[in-house]
Amino acid sequence: MKHVAAVEGQSETRVRMPTRRALAKQQTRAKVLAAARELFSTEGYEGATIRDIAAAAGMSTGAVFANFADKSELFREIMTTDLAAVVEAMTEAASRGRTVDDALLKIFSAGYGFYKSQMPLARAALGLSWSWQDGQALRALASIQEIIDLFGEQLALGVERGELSQECEIKLRSQMLFDNYLANYPQAIFGGWSLEALQARSRDQIRVILAGARRG
Amino acid sequence: MNLRQTQKEATRRRVLDAARDLFETVGYEETTVREIASQAGVAVGSVFTCFSSKAEVLSQVMQERLDDLYGELDRVTPHLRGSTADRLSSIFALHFAFETRRTQLFLAHIAAAYSWRPGGSSVPYGRNPRLRGTIRDCVVEGQERGDVDPALDPDMIVDTLMAAYAWNYRLAAWENAGPERMSANMEQQIALVARGFSPVPN
Repeated sequence: MKHVAAVEGQSETRVRMPTRRALAKQQTRAKVLAAARELFSTEGYEGATIRDIAAAAGMSTGAVFANFADKSELFREIMTTDLAAVVEAMTEAASRGRTVDDALLKIFSAGYGFYKSQMPLARAALGLSWSWQDGQALRALASIQEIIDLFGEQLALGVERGELSQECEIKLRSQMLFDNYLANYPQAIFGGWSLEALQARSRDQIRVILAGARRG
Repeated sequence: MNLRQTQKEATRRRVLDAARDLFETVGYEETTVREIASQAGVAVGSVFTCFSSKAEVLSQVMQERLDDLYGELDRVTPHLRGSTADRLSSIFALHFAFETRRTQLFLAHIAAAYSWRPGGSSVPYGRNPRLRGTIRDCVVEGQERGDVDPALDPDMIVDTLMAAYAWNYRLAAWENAGPERMSANMEQQIALVARGFSPVPN
């Protein structure tokens, strides 16, 4: 901690002080988020209470509320972080696609691969997505639109490369790809499907959705 | 049926009616078993002699409604005419029209399928075997009539349509979409899939 002491001795101490407080606050938030992630995964969204989350994080409920307005904000924050990582993985995967089918399948697989080890959290998110208020809030996350746009970009590339017809309805097709991507989660959650089984089903779905666009 | 059974059946009926109305108007999560009992005019304990939990009440309410829907479906499907796409649109439209009579109840049922709470016997959403079967029959009949490519696996088409169908309920949940908008959307989606499944001209 020698380095910190040296910095404090300098003239910009006044500027640095709030940063340190911000850092402490950030650590508190990270602790709460880690505890919340764990509880949402074991108890589900409804079952995890702020009181339990606070206890698991080793702090008071007041301290939790000082950082997050309510449980739904906590959940949204976790989803925001995860989905940003999902979008990054999907974007990277798509760039390795050789054909439009291949790129789309790689996008699906990147998503399933990310959630494979945390299906209970995906289950909590899917359940919540059907509720009126919280569902809308989840839907409004920027990453959701980014995933749909990613499908659209690959479709547009497919048109450019001549794999799909010019009249390819990109908007409608992107949305349907996203629906199909989501629709396979229940198989993984309740049916225990492997990544390979999910990929096989996704490959068929992509083929059905693209079939009409391959004709002139 | 002896007197005790008759009484139990009457209680069950009143609880189901009260719960159906409360789930729709107040919401599933927001409704307590106590409130259901009070609306039904029975004791809380009587509710639990018929049902193990609130989730089971929801599940029974939904089962009864599904029986009504399937009755409607059975009456309508023999009279469907036109292309496979038209027939598919009609079957889905019937579902949208039926479910949006009680949208909140339907959404509660979907959400409950993901719930951690024990006692729910609801089928995970999108795996409703009756609808799936009806849609599959429609596609297979299309293959027999010749407007669906016989070389295609009907289940592949059914999977894709069922996923699109689910999206339209999200429109109801998030944007208050009514049955007309949901059906119109579904029709576009079916048309898109149909352009891919129609037989390739020689």
